[in-house]
Amino acid sequence: MYAQTAKKPDSSHPACRLRVGTSGYSYAEWADAGFYPAGTPAGRMLPVYARFFCIVELNYTWYQMPKPQALERLASQASPNFRFTAKLTRSLTHEVEPAQWCGEASRYRDGISVLIQSGQLMAVLAQFPPNFDRVLKNRRFLAALLDELDGIPLAMEFRHRSWAHDRVFAELERRKITMVTVDTPSLPGLFPSLDVVTNPELFYIRFHGRNERGWRSGSMQKQFDYHYTDEQLFELANGLVAKMTRQAREGVMFFNNHVRGQAAENARTLISMLVEIGLMEKITTTKTTQPWTAPLFT
Amino acid sequence: MDRAVIHLNVADFAVAVERVVDSRLKNRPVIIAPEGAARSAVYDMSNEAFLAGVRKGMALRQALRICKDAFVLPPHQDRYERAMKAFFKHTLPYSPLIETGEGDGHIFMDVTASRRLFGPPMDVAWRLRNKIRKDLGLDPIWSVAPNKLVAKVATRLVKPTGEYIVAAGEEENFLATLPVYFITHIEKDDLLRLSEFDFTKVSQVVSLSMKQLQVLFGNRSRFLYETVRGIDFSPVLPAEKSVPRILLDHEFGDDTNDIAKVESVLYRLVEKSGKQLRHRHLAARCLVLVIDYSDGLRCIRQKKADPATANDMALFDLAREVLGLAWFRRVRIRHMRLICDRLIFPPAHQLEIFPQSFEKNRRRISLMESIDSIRSRFGNHAIRVGRTIACQ
Repeated sequence: MYAQTAKKPDSSHPACRLRVGTSGYSYAEWADAGFYPAGTPAGRMLPVYARFFCIVELNYTWYQMPKPQALERLASQASPNFRFTAKLTRSLTHEVEPAQWCGEASRYRDGISVLIQSGQLMAVLAQFPPNFDRVLKNRRFLAALLDELDGIPLAMEFRHRSWAHDRVFAELERRKITMVTVDTPSLPGLFPSLDVVTNPELFYIRFHGRNERGWRSGSMQKQFDYHYTDEQLFELANGLVAKMTRQAREGVMFFNNHVRGQAAENARTLISMLVEIGLMEKITTTKTTQPWTAPLFT
Repeated sequence: MDRAVIHLNVADFAVAVERVVDSRLKNRPVIIAPEGAARSAVYDMSNEAFLAGVRKGMALRQALRICKDAFVLPPHQDRYERAMKAFFKHTLPYSPLIETGEGDGHIFMDVTASRRLFGPPMDVAWRLRNKIRKDLGLDPIWSVAPNKLVAKVATRLVKPTGEYIVAAGEEENFLATLPVYFITHIEKDDLLRLSEFDFTKVSQVVSLSMKQLQVLFGNRSRFLYETVRGIDFSPVLPAEKSVPRILLDHEFGDDTNDIAKVESVLYRLVEKSGKQLRHRHLAARCLVLVIDYSDGLRCIRQKKADPATANDMALFDLAREVLGLAWFRRVRIRHMRLICDRLIFPPAHQLEIFPQSFEKNRRRISLMESIDSIRSRFGNHAIRVGRTIACQ
């Protein structure tokens, strides 16, 4: 789908391959925002999305256990070079039943196996709720969960600030598990935005937006209603992203501010900035795609 | 734009409601059936009882033989209706398009247009389920699908707990692996016909062309062709405007098994509904009768009116037949509900082949017109049918 240009990455940076996408892609309102052509059915959104981005974070797997056949059909809609990350199901993070979660972990592994086999799975994102704090019970559960999911590339996103601890980072490093860096509003109690890389293979950033008012509203439409300005993105690209790029072999970044298509717009702007500063390579697209700088495929 | 339909289904609704009232019933087999009656049948049962082999409609005596430790409760229709109202109320803020079942724990919501306000449909469904669980103590299964048919099959698939999301475009693939009997819209006769040809899976029926289906099912072929492919354009009706129908209730002061009295009440219900139908220039294509026995058991039966009618006498003939179907137990009746369903504008009068029946119909119509005209001038009690006087 994409052809690499002759331009080489900036030699001052180690070769870190970056991928930028959005958290979810199937939003009817993105057609109103102009990202999808009007009337694009949900079943045809991924091929359109894949013209602009080379990776997507599947968030429906948080609501429902992934099913191999459905994932296979989904993956077939994009190029084999397209990559996925998938959220860990809520029965393993938010609604854990002590007697059942081991079985759930096994079902999750089965469900996601299609993407592992095809080599398209970059990571499984385990996002824990704000009330999941670093107490003995939760630490034990987390250790058991990580053992159960051993072998799957994992990325952990904590929402409670008690997990921002050197011992946690050290353990994640030992297990080669990625700790997710978050960009959120500056509110008390939230996990801070850290540039710690615990897995030299992969860093993972989620841009949630900085809507302070909406963050605790209980409505996703308010919580993730935020538009990053070009100045903010420029600062992130040159600061946080540039720093993490030097510490890992690959990096993925997702915009979760999905309301009114802002995530897609911000992601595209960030890509162009990363290309400009030499962290990503500019590529040319096929005739069917819009003249847009898309991330490098190999 | 693809539709987003949420289906919420509280499995074993009657048991779920009883468990909210009495928490001791949790995690133990429960059977809802009228007690005391010699041949009472199972009205509903918990999943534990279902797994033991108890089924709806099974004789209670047999059910208790299979599931000895089951806790038996009489049906409480009032409780179920109250719970259904509260369930419905929780869904109201999310969409104007909400359709409920008859106090059976089923709700359809069309959230296509609410996405901008409330976010992704699956998130709405998940939040709603959490709220209902917290506020009402009920734990609905939920599904999100592009139409009602697929949404309903999806919740059926994960019963008794869970969720299912069927993305737009995935309908046919989703149904293909299922047995045909799983598709809720396919009726008994069709299933029988399919089994005659050894078609047990949806994928087998999908392999048949429209022409092949026509040979087997005649005018049902289009319906089957679309159903097995997950095509369903039926709308989720607005909450305030559910299916247009006329619904009339009568509660007997004392439970009765007096046939004359029951028929007299039935005639009065027919008269009232007939009047409303004629006033709205509509005709009923189906009559439904709901009977609540004194032991709490509810029986619902219906019959098609062919042709559709608004004539009291024709309606009563039909209502009497339905009563015969519904009142099969030697138990007194406490409550009766008559529903005139599938309302349409009256069909054009077609000349009958047999002049005798044509003349009979003409007379009936003429008689009704005269009765209506007298009542509109002198009041409803000015002229009455002897049958309705008998019970007073």
